[in-house]
Amino acid sequence: MRALLNLSAKGDEFVPPSSRDFVLPPIFEDIAFLTKPILFSFVAAILVGLFFSASARKAAVVPSKFQFAGELVYGFVRKDLGTEILGHEFRRFMPYLFTLFTFILTNNIFGIVPFIQFPTFSRISFAYVLGIIAFGVFHYVGLRKQGVKKYIKDIMFMPGVPKPVYILLTPIEIATYLVVRPLTLSLRLFANMFAGHLLLMIFFLGGEHLLQGAVAMKFVGVLSFGMGIALTFFEFLVQCLQAYIFTLLTALYIAGGLADEH
Amino acid sequence: MTKRSDESAIWTILGYLLSGLLFWGGVGYFADRFFNTSYLTLVGILMGMGGGLYLVWLRFGR
Repeated sequence: MRALLNLSAKGDEFVPPSSRDFVLPPIFEDIAFLTKPILFSFVAAILVGLFFSASARKAAVVPSKFQFAGELVYGFVRKDLGTEILGHEFRRFMPYLFTLFTFILTNNIFGIVPFIQFPTFSRISFAYVLGIIAFGVFHYVGLRKQGVKKYIKDIMFMPGVPKPVYILLTPIEIATYLVVRPLTLSLRLFANMFAGHLLLMIFFLGGEHLLQGAVAMKFVGVLSFGMGIALTFFEFLVQCLQAYIFTLLTALYIAGGLADEH
Repeated sequence: MTKRSDESAIWTILGYLLSGLLFWGGVGYFADRFFNTSYLTLVGILMGMGGGLYLVWLRFGR
């Protein structure tokens, strides 16, 4: 959100929010790199770390509420994303998957926490970094498990096809594994966060602008605020879903590398 | 388990169709610029779509 809501109006014109609103100035003028998304990605990392180490520290047979909350999230990732997809080898990947899920979730939910209200992953570079890490992980796993030669052969040559057709198919397969998979992983997360934040800005800034108008306008402005609040709840749903689907697809890609044929 | 593999299939299919379009469409586009023609992009895109669909069929259809 823009720092002051009044910024939505220049004179009487309504200035709709745009991608420019995602480029935030540094928090302190002389530290150029420390912008809001940078700061809150660190805050998210610290929060996740503190919460789960604290909830696991005094682990007891009869869990406290705190421990219960931590175990609920962990149990969900472990059962839904770990054992069901990766099978008996899931234990190795749990630290990565669990950190990924909670980190993305926390960052996404920052988008609707009052006074923070900026989802980190609406800046695309953050999403790219996660995509690159996932790319490294699932290819490394596949290469280690199957050996370089077999892994590359499996990717490049779909069995049961006449040889000349490989000229058509092999580039597509390579592009899928090397470019499209990590790219769609990042873009899906980025686009959802970007669009959601833009949507909320439109309804709240537009509502604020309408409230300054004539009486009939004020009525519409109130409606716009109501819609904005409803969409905030909807955003919460999207934010959870995107964190889940990013982790799910990473797990599926890892499972694909572990499996004997792709 | 079936629900999970369905979900995986959706994104695999999307990936194949997309990379088919992008790769062969891109090849067609640059071939067009190289030979100063205008129809090779279309040919490339159609080839890519065909290839992508064929891969989907190979993977899930047989």
